[in-house]
Amino acid sequence: MLSSSPTSFTHPFLSSSPPLSPISPPSRTARISPPLVSASCSYTYTEDSPRLHQIPRRLTTVPASLYDVLEVPLGATSQDIKSAYRRLARICHPDVAGTDRTSSSSADEFMKIHAAYCTLSDPEKRSVYDRRMLRRSRPLTVGTSGLGSYVGRNWETDQCW
Amino acid sequence: MAEAAYTVASDSENTGEEKSSSSPSLPEIALGIDIGTSQCSIAVWNGSQVHILRNTRNQKLIKSFVTFKDEVPAGGVSNQLAHEQEMLTGAAIFNMKRLVGRVDTDPVVHASKNLPFLVQTLDIGVRPFIAALVNNAWRSTTPEEVLAIFLVELRLMAEAQLKRPVRNVVLTVPVSFSRFQLTRFERACAMAGLHVLRLMPEPTAIALLYAQQQQMTTHDNMGSGSERLAVIFNMGAGYCDVAVTATAGGVSQIKALAGSPIGGEDILQNTIRHIAPPNEEASGLLRVAAQDAIHRLTDQENVQIEVDLGNGNKISKVLDRLEFEEVNQKVFEECERLVVQCLRDARVNGGDIDDLIMVGGCSYIPKVRTIIKNVCKKDEIYKGVNPLEAAVRGAALEGAVTSGIHDPFGSLDLLTIQATPLAVGVRANGNKFIPVIPRNTMVPARKDLFFTTVQDNQKEALIIIYEGEGETVEENHLLGYFKLVGIPPAPKGVPEINVCMDIDASNALRVFAAVLMPGSSSPVVPVIEVRMPTVDDGHGWCAQALNVKYGATLDLITLQRKM
Repeated sequence: MLSSSPTSFTHPFLSSSPPLSPISPPSRTARISPPLVSASCSYTYTEDSPRLHQIPRRLTTVPASLYDVLEVPLGATSQDIKSAYRRLARICHPDVAGTDRTSSSSADEFMKIHAAYCTLSDPEKRSVYDRRMLRRSRPLTVGTSGLGSYVGRNWETDQCW
Repeated sequence: MAEAAYTVASDSENTGEEKSSSSPSLPEIALGIDIGTSQCSIAVWNGSQVHILRNTRNQKLIKSFVTFKDEVPAGGVSNQLAHEQEMLTGAAIFNMKRLVGRVDTDPVVHASKNLPFLVQTLDIGVRPFIAALVNNAWRSTTPEEVLAIFLVELRLMAEAQLKRPVRNVVLTVPVSFSRFQLTRFERACAMAGLHVLRLMPEPTAIALLYAQQQQMTTHDNMGSGSERLAVIFNMGAGYCDVAVTATAGGVSQIKALAGSPIGGEDILQNTIRHIAPPNEEASGLLRVAAQDAIHRLTDQENVQIEVDLGNGNKISKVLDRLEFEEVNQKVFEECERLVVQCLRDARVNGGDIDDLIMVGGCSYIPKVRTIIKNVCKKDEIYKGVNPLEAAVRGAALEGAVTSGIHDPFGSLDLLTIQATPLAVGVRANGNKFIPVIPRNTMVPARKDLFFTTVQDNQKEALIIIYEGEGETVEENHLLGYFKLVGIPPAPKGVPEINVCMDIDASNALRVFAAVLMPGSSSPVVPVIEVRMPTVDDGHGWCAQALNVKYGATLDLITLQRKM
């Protein structure tokens, strides 16, 4: 098997991987704006997937913050976030929203909400997100300097479980 | 399926649903069906609560079997058995749930070869040969056919009682079922004229019932967000399932699922082997005696087993509980492992559990209760559910919810946020299974990964989709495969192959694949979309055939990610 040796899915950097070298790291940023969106409308991607990945990008028009998605204030407690998630789930979850239609839109909607919930309900992810958001929007409140340490962090790794 | 062949006497019992003469404007309420390995039940939301239907013998739990004794096969719904042993003459097929969608190399199929009907394996990865003994001849059938015959009887029984046609159903399924097995269930339902709205993993149906109970008892609807963590342990005759769920305000969020095809049948067979005299074929009599002993051991320290095997052999033996537990140690260890794994996946500690819900026939076994209570660090088991009815009640609730029924008292303001019981992914990096959507991902889900070619100027790539938990593809279920063509000539590692998987709310899985070239933002060839699973029987062979034909020439490896 040609392919087996050099790569390891989880630790690409632990192994020397000659076959992979042609892909320069920056090209991965292409992933952030899924090119597939434009591919075909059957690729129901549109709204959702770019949103998730847009957060780190500054050039795009500021998307709704995760707080907006969950309809909670910035200072919401984790209790608030949980109950907001549940309230929205009862409205937007495809099981409730689209009675037996091909409710892909409500699925997208709900995936957004769930992604927001996953980030905001995890104290660590939330603080990372908060700092990033503050830095980007230069808000009136004291912007704690989130230094550069998180800039390279890739949000697509924020997998919810 | 000749429906006219089945006669189901209309039920004498007054089912008391005045709304059942459904006015056409009302949506049809889907029924909930719990097809168990050994028994089965069917229930419906009657407008104010869940009502479990009874068969002509006034039973809520109907034995899951079909006999081919007469001209017309008859299932446990309509058929009257004079004696338990009649089921064990070879004329009856049972335990279909353990056989459906399995190939003849599967250990679970092999374990079924002790059953009185014929289970023949050729051990080449095709469906096993199953047959019932009719007039001293083996009449072949399939697990789907047997399930369908049974489901037709259930449907006719329900139609007679509800006085309306029944079409939509919600079925509960084991957590460990692969998508291939789920399609077999769907096919059986289609053969029986039923349309499946949802196939719910069993513990998630119980989670929904629990969510409803929590909502009724605590009226602080989601406001205070008093979230309750529950472990649901469900062990029946064929399967053991575990779920961790967080519940508040009628919404049950499944945090993790775990399941395995172990159950009461394994315990029964271990026990039969233990009490049988050497060289004694496992007979129906022995099976009945062992079953009875196991039941009695739930509240007795030891039991006396007396069986006259009829061939001059007699068994007279005292079986005590410790002995029984020793014989079945492996099964109990597996139960424990599942709960431990599920708690870990849910990132929950035993001490944080608010409620421990134990359901299914095996939840009565003292050893099982002790083990699970220990792992969950709970002294008490949740008392709000009937262990043998919880799953069907949950399925009926889901049936009402997905049918869009509204309850003025809010009893149906319920929702289960499902999670994927098994990972789905592709074969890449040699023979590795690379999950695209990991286990316990919230459903609906959509995730993608990038792969690349392994050869210079590789024009095509095989996308082979698997489901499971194993690291190598052989340990997982093959769901399907397709070829991505038209990759522009380029050095290996340059083309970017995006594989995206989408699971919608009704659990349908679609796989998308697209080829991208660096610097370009649109796919170079049309995106391929394939609904999974695509494989039919003999899927063990497909993977081998692909390997023989293509080797590693159309392989993929994961594309290095930017850290």
